[in-house]
Amino acid sequence: MLIGKLILPLFEGTLVTLQVFAITFAVSLPLAILLASIQAARIKIINLFFQLFIMIERGTPLLLQMMFVFFGLPYMGVTLDRETSIYLAFVLNYTAYFMEILRGGINSVDSGQLEACQVLGYSRFASYVRVILPQALQACFPSIGNEVLTLIKDTSLITVLGASELLKAGRSAVNTYGTAVPFIYVGIIYLMLTTTAEFLLKKTEKKMDPVQGE
Amino acid sequence: MKKLLTAALVLLFVLAGCGTSSNTDSNEKLIIGVDDTFAPMGFRDENNELVGFDIDLATMIAEKIGIEIVFQPIDWAMKETELNSNNIDLIWNGYTITDKRKEQVNFTTPYLENRQIIVVLADSDINYKADLAGKSLSVQKESSALEAVLKEADLAASLKDGAPVEFDTNIDCFMDLEAGRSNAIVCDEVLARYVMKQRGAEKYRVLEDNFGEEEYGIGVRKSDTELLEKLNTALKDAKSDGSYDTLYQKWFAE
Repeated sequence: MLIGKLILPLFEGTLVTLQVFAITFAVSLPLAILLASIQAARIKIINLFFQLFIMIERGTPLLLQMMFVFFGLPYMGVTLDRETSIYLAFVLNYTAYFMEILRGGINSVDSGQLEACQVLGYSRFASYVRVILPQALQACFPSIGNEVLTLIKDTSLITVLGASELLKAGRSAVNTYGTAVPFIYVGIIYLMLTTTAEFLLKKTEKKMDPVQGE
Repeated sequence: MKKLLTAALVLLFVLAGCGTSSNTDSNEKLIIGVDDTFAPMGFRDENNELVGFDIDLATMIAEKIGIEIVFQPIDWAMKETELNSNNIDLIWNGYTITDKRKEQVNFTTPYLENRQIIVVLADSDINYKADLAGKSLSVQKESSALEAVLKEADLAASLKDGAPVEFDTNIDCFMDLEAGRSNAIVCDEVLARYVMKQRGAEKYRVLEDNFGEEEYGIGVRKSDTELLEKLNTALKDAKSDGSYDTLYQKWFAE
């Protein structure tokens, strides 16, 4: 049976896909929250740098960025191994996207609240962390969810650096057994991953809502 | 939020740890770049192990020379870049010797012969190369099949849209042929025969005409002349002591 021969290769491919997803997400979202908060302080020179960073990261394909990190940087004397190159490119790219989403979220919170906090005697830092940021996160949560699903699917790009993730495992099986059926299984696995992510996102969103949550 | 940050930091350190340990590991071994989706030369079996004719041959030759090797799957379109940026030391996976590639890498003496054959569906009305005019022909991108087709510039220009259609893998070409979008494909004979066997040989027809005979060689970095000589000697030994033939029978006997 074909499926019996596919189980192990597809399982190992799925693990790689999940690993890249989990690490990228776990690093880039907190990093983006930190950077977006710094950005919200409106320090001109720093924000100019952020703007440039986001322009490059959002303005070029992630595939190209990965190839640049792995094949291009050695010409400048920086040689990174495959795994590091993948994570560096992914984390930078997703940090940029998350930063833009968070910027929107932070801007959506009425600036009068900050003044109100100060009247109540909160420090600027405390009012930002305890009042502004939670509302900002809640406001942009659906957009973050969107990026999460995109990230799951974007992991398929890492084959360009030789990594064997789910789609590559499927393609390999297609070549080996001369049939396109493995692609169907690959599609089903991606759907399982994305629907699980969607379920978890919905649950988190409900929890964050002060009205519906605990 | 604090917990999340801590988790992220822990992950980052674990990741950094993984990265450095694997790096020192592969320093002294010869890294062979392979396309692990290329049956029967190098592919994954049901245990996800790398197997194939070239995998066996490389293991045998390495033993003869007395060096340790590791296989690194690469994106085939990036193979020369991988070699010349020192990420891999050899390209060894059904790597056809061509003039264009000779400008970038050194080749060992050929170890396997191969033809670029034209495959059509069994009921196709294409019988000769000349019949390809105005038809859609597909090949794998960055492949020697593509080079062979482009070499016959007039023929390439006479194709539908004036050029062959390029796909990521050869199996994509086969699927496109069956879907009726491509009228013919050009592909390494070694691979084509394997794929046809898997998908049902009766569905296809191989034309008498072909796009030339070719040979597979091992791609070595231009600066690694000593390694090149060692490989050539070992290949010669393998052919004269019969170990090469045993391997050939294992993978290609009909």
